[in-house]
Amino acid sequence: MGVRLLSWMGTAALATALLPFAVAQRGPKPPEGPAPKLNGKPDLSGLWQRPYVPDMTVTSRNGDQVADQSLPDAKPTPGQAAPKGPPGPPKKELPFTAEGKRVWESYDPAKGDYTGSCLPFGLIRSMNSPDPIQIMQSDQYLALLYEQNTWFKVFHVDGRAHRDQVATWFGDSVGKWDGDTLVVDTVNFNGKTRLDTIGHPHSDKLHTIERFKRTDLGHVAYEITIDDPAYYTKAWKNTRTFTLRPDWEIMEYSCEENNKDIFEGHIKAGTNPEK
Amino acid sequence: MRATLGILAATVGLLISATPVLAHHSFAAEFDDKQPVTLKGTVTKVDWMNPHIWIYISAKDEGGKVTQWQCEGGPPNSLTRNGWTKTALKEGDQVTIEGFRAKDATNTCNSRSVTLPDGKKVFAGSAEDGGPNRGQKQ
Repeated sequence: MGVRLLSWMGTAALATALLPFAVAQRGPKPPEGPAPKLNGKPDLSGLWQRPYVPDMTVTSRNGDQVADQSLPDAKPTPGQAAPKGPPGPPKKELPFTAEGKRVWESYDPAKGDYTGSCLPFGLIRSMNSPDPIQIMQSDQYLALLYEQNTWFKVFHVDGRAHRDQVATWFGDSVGKWDGDTLVVDTVNFNGKTRLDTIGHPHSDKLHTIERFKRTDLGHVAYEITIDDPAYYTKAWKNTRTFTLRPDWEIMEYSCEENNKDIFEGHIKAGTNPEK
Repeated sequence: MRATLGILAATVGLLISATPVLAHHSFAAEFDDKQPVTLKGTVTKVDWMNPHIWIYISAKDEGGKVTQWQCEGGPPNSLTRNGWTKTALKEGDQVTIEGFRAKDATNTCNSRSVTLPDGKKVFAGSAEDGGPNRGQKQ
């Protein structure tokens, strides 16, 4: 099991870590200038290229995505020379609870992959997707239009309280401005998703805090804090930089259209992480 | 040609470029990193559709036996932004596909590189991505 787990983890990260760097390095220089404003608040609107984050414990080579540097470096897997995953930048050791560690180590996507089934990726994995995101802002709302599988999320930015409703894949988000930073607080997740492609887990007790700051015309600084007391002994975060792509337009992405992986049974459908 | 293919197969880990964009599922959910495949044959069809493109080829092994394979590629959106179009590869094109076979042992693969006879890479990513290659053990 250990060897197999190690194998798929490495391969998953290997196979999914490649293109975004190519895209990022091929892109034109982003526009320069001060952060635009919308009725006195920084305007986050735009089509943004994002770093792909298949493994939230690894910092990207070009530095557009940084793992939590307050965490210790990952230790070598027992019996192995290095930590799990592909060779490259060092991985950080997530502060798992015993239950979180058990769920993480037992995860095998070959037994069921909810993303292969085109079920919603959930908030965190959608934010980690390599596909661009369109942000549209008004005085009342922020809309996140994910190209990944043509999903979206819209929420108020007036600091109102969370709603008491059925738990969902993307959770219940509310935003408020902290100076020039939009802080988005999300709870009420259904616990059926993973944090990243490599499969780091979260429970339905997950609470996230996202911070969006338009640092200049061409960039947004993004930070997400993972607070899940069921699976992690303390909160941890990941930071990254979004780059404005005025030369791009968001495109349709139908996950179901020709999903031969599922239609022909090459992937086992997954509906719920093992508990 | 066979010698060339042999060299190609032996050094694929050093030469391979970054094509796959597994944006909608985990590689390990479907493919086996311990089963690398190198397929040489004729393109019979290309599905330029979400969530992944699929390339179908009639591949001939070293014994001359012809088998039909289907290989998954990246999402059309990402490939488009990398400058490829759906006409970059056509029925009748001769290609070499390097990838990994599906765990279910069907003639299904994940294409890591697609190469035309003149050496031109089709649907390939940049070699500057810095990612590990197929020959490395994880």
